[in-house]
Parts: sequence; C-alpha cells; structure tokens
Amino acid sequence: MIALFVTFFSAVILLFAGLNKKESAFSLFAVVSLFVSAALSFACANQMVSFGMLESWVPANMMSFGKEQHLFAALLAFITGFVILMFRENENLGTDQLGLMMFSLCGAYMMVSYEHLVMLFLGIEVLSIPLFVLAGANKQNLASNEASLKYFLMGAFSTGIFLLGTAFIYGGTGSLELEMMGIKPSFMHAMKGMPIPVLINAGIILMSVGLLFKVAAAPFHFWAPDVYEGSPNRTTVFMATIVKVAAFVAFYRLLNTFGGIKDSWASWLTVLGGMTILWGNLAALGQKSVKRTLAFSSIAHAGYLVMFLLIADGTNTWILWFYGFSYAIASVLVFSIANQAYQQTGDFSFDAFNGIAKKCPIVAVVLVIGVLSMAGIPISAGFNAKFYLFSFAWQHTPWLVGIGLLGSAISVGYYFKFFKHAFLKESNNEMQFVDRGLLISLALIIVALGAMPWAILNLVF
Amino acid sequence: MSLLNIFNQVEISHYIYLSTVLFAIGLFGVLFRRNAIILLMCIELMLNAVNLLFTAFSTYMGDSDGQIFVFFIMVVAAAEAAVGLAILVLVYRNTRKTDVSFLDQLKG
Repeated sequence: MIALFVTFFSAVILLFAGLNKKESAFSLFAVVSLFVSAALSFACANQMVSFGMLESWVPANMMSFGKEQHLFAALLAFITGFVILMFRENENLGTDQLGLMMFSLCGAYMMVSYEHLVMLFLGIEVLSIPLFVLAGANKQNLASNEASLKYFLMGAFSTGIFLLGTAFIYGGTGSLELEMMGIKPSFMHAMKGMPIPVLINAGIILMSVGLLFKVAAAPFHFWAPDVYEGSPNRTTVFMATIVKVAAFVAFYRLLNTFGGIKDSWASWLTVLGGMTILWGNLAALGQKSVKRTLAFSSIAHAGYLVMFLLIADGTNTWILWFYGFSYAIASVLVFSIANQAYQQTGDFSFDAFNGIAKKCPIVAVVLVIGVLSMAGIPISAGFNAKFYLFSFAWQHTPWLVGIGLLGSAISVGYYFKFFKHAFLKESNNEMQFVDRGLLISLALIIVALGAMPWAILNLVF
Repeated sequence: MSLLNIFNQVEISHYIYLSTVLFAIGLFGVLFRRNAIILLMCIELMLNAVNLLFTAFSTYMGDSDGQIFVFFIMVVAAAEAAVGLAILVLVYRNTRKTDVSFLDQLKG
C-alpha cells in the first residue's frame, strides 16, 4: 500500500513537472521515489515499519497487503527504478512519460494485491492504458505507431475476453471476491436453470485467455515480437519485465482460488505451457534483431512461468518471486547493453555487439553474466530460479519439466550469438559505455543470487 | 407488476445466450474487419455484451456487485476509447489511412 501511495503521488508530480524543463532532475526524482517505495515495501514485509492507518483506508475485501504482496511490490518498484535509471540518457521524452510509466506501475501493484475482481480488472487497465501511449512515444516513427496500435487492439480485445470470463465466474460463483469464489459455487440459484459448472469452467478458460494474452504465452503471443520491436527501448524493457511479473502474480492468485477444481484447467494449461516454451525458443533461433530475439526469449520465459501456475499452492510463491526477480534483473541488464550498443551503431542486429570484448572488456563480462543468467547456466540467478522451479514441478508435471529442459538446451543456441558477436567478431566502430557502475552492480546481484540464493531468500522470505 | 418481475420471468439462460451471441459478433468483427474504427466499435460491442450479462446476473442473484462492475467497465471503456482514438489519429497523420493492413510493417 505504501508503495502504491508513494508511486502514485510521485507520478502526479512528474505529470505536472513537464512544465519545467529540467528533465534530468525529475528523472532522478522518479528513481529515488521508486527506490523509496521498494525499500518501504520491503520494510513493511518484514514488519520493520507499518502503515496500518493507510492500509485501513482500503476495504479489506478489495485489496490485501500481506507479506507476499509487499515483496512483489518491492520487486516491481525496484526493477522499474533500474529501468528508468538505465535508460535515462536516450529518448529524452519528457517527464510526463516517466509519470505514465509510474501510473502503469500503480496498476501492477493493484494486480499483485487484488482480492476482488474489480481491482484485478482496474489493475490490468491501469497497467495497460499508459503502456498503449508509451509504446507509441516515438510519434514520427512508423514502427512505434504500429506497435502502439497493435498493442492497443490486442489489449482491448483481450480485456473483452477477460471480462466475459469474469461475468461467467460471477454468474457461476455468485461473487466477485476471491475468498468467496473459492469457498462456494453458490447453488442457491441452481434450480432456475443456471448452468453452474459450465459457467465456472468457461469463466476460468476465458479469464485465462485474457491473462495469457497479457503475459504473451503461445498461441496468444503473436503480437509480442512486433510490439516489443516497435516500442521505444525503455518501454520494451518495462513490458518484458513488469507486465509479465505482475500478470503472472495476478494469474497465480486467480488460479489458486480455483485450486479445488484443478483438474479442469491444469490439462490445457500444461499443453499451452509446453507449446509456449518450444515456440518461444525455436522462433528465437531464427531472429536477426536483438530486440526480437529477446522478445521471443521473454515468451519462452512466460512458458516456464506457466509451469509455476501448475504447482502453485500458496506456500511456494517464493519461487515466482525469485524467478521473476532474476529474470527481470537479467533482462534489464542485457537490454540496457543492447540499447547502448544500438545508440552508437544505429543497428539493432547482433552486429551491434561486434568487438565489445576488445573495447570494453568489463561490459563484455557483464553481458556474459546477464545472458548466462537468462539461459540458466550455473552460478547465475537464472540457473537457481530454473532449478527450484523444475525441481518443484517434477512431481506434478514431469513431461512439462522435460520440455522445459529441452527448451533451455535450445535457448543456448541463440544466447550463444551474443558471445559470438561480442568475443569473436571484430569491428572498427568506437564504443563507449556509460553507467558501468550500474551494469556491474546488476551483474553482482545476479552472481550473488546465483552463488548463495538461500542467504538472500532467507533474508527476504 | 414491477419491471423487475418482468425481467425475472425471462430465464437467465436466455440472457447468457444473448450476450454470448453479441460478444461473438464483436469478436468476429475484431478478427475479420480491416478498418480500425470498426474494430473499436466491435470492441465496444464485446464490452457491452459483458455489461448486459453482468446486469442480468446481478438482477437475477439480487447482488449489487455486478451492477457496480458495469460502471467500472463503462468508465474504463471510455478511457480506452479515448486513448485508442488518439493513437488512431497519430497513425492517420503518418500514413493517411485508418486501415489495419498497415499493421504488417514489422517482420522478423
């Protein structure tokens, strides 16, 4: 709640700060307020501070603020802070865009802490609507226009499907509150011809389709590569990290409510998960553009996280947190190096990485750490995240874990391209990388999470 | 006889069929039409089908949550349409058309 409060008011200030011309000062303000939000939520989660009065303003059946919600809010604020920090130099787009990004983050907070489907719906929309604008921020650029229109049409379309599912669930269970929905399908109206099991099953399927659109899981991922490629880099990273993590938390909370009838949705979700992993990884192999490769890689990661939905039982949420955190950190790291290479070469193919190892060895090492973490190679955060996920999933869905391992093996094929271009190819371009300290600190976080995950998880959970 | 009773005489399943059909018309419109403005109208149709269903369930179960939800959907749909039309104006300025066939510039 405190994160929502701080972020919202900072966003309002940033929206009005557009009148002033000192943009760098305000981007610093945005970063500071995000890190403050993250720190306060983290403190709340560990009960070092408490904002009970603030939280009592929100009806308890609308949003809940437990430890889990605070930790996810901290994660989201922390990552957004890094996104704004790492991408502040390029695309000097004005403070109103920072404000929009933070409003979008408010939607993400709502999605992780909703208790009522109205809040979930509002969260999804508050998350999406600023992103439609941000995707089209490069107004003269046709690719950006296309990304914006495509994202808007897909977003509105998936919202419609999601809402039909909500209506069916409402008819089937007689309530919109998660707690009530789980307890009773209300049979009090059953005699008058309400087809309750049909409504509930159709509702779950339709709501899942709406959310699968948002997380870009196959076969609802077709918009993602185009939108990720066309959007400004900062927005792309935001979409690939924050939107995905928030949507998965919302998804897990929703499906967990219907844990009692798991048989009815687990089967097709397993199939979709396997399909997403294979499709994302195989399609990424053939891409020439770094941004599209990373887009397909994020689709594949959505597939791994679908695996989490199948094993989630309310006690192992830390797996989602850990996976989301390590995936998001690695994404921000790799994207920001790609972004800087792109700024200097004007080229978004892998050739932009040529010869980094010779010119900036430190950046090359950092890039290796980030990419290894995304691929899930040991002593990186990504390896531990995948290891926990797969070892927990092994008892429930062994063959999906098999597909996951196969997908990880395939993914090495395209992650290797980064190394090939950075280390083996030469280039005559001059290269300068800024923010090396930040890049190194992100890489250190990844290595720390890889080397001693339990020390950090015990600290957090 | 009050209005509410008349509504209650229609079986709930008829409302479900009606709004599912309306929703399907909107859905197929989004999938098969090419003009972005028609697409926006089809999306509105989908949302309004949902509104009808919510209202029907709400009246039927004597629970007001569904009708409150309808207001939220209407507000959000208006906000979404405002942003969507703004994006469309942006696209129209650059391409001089409102046709979604423009949406195939980006290819891998």
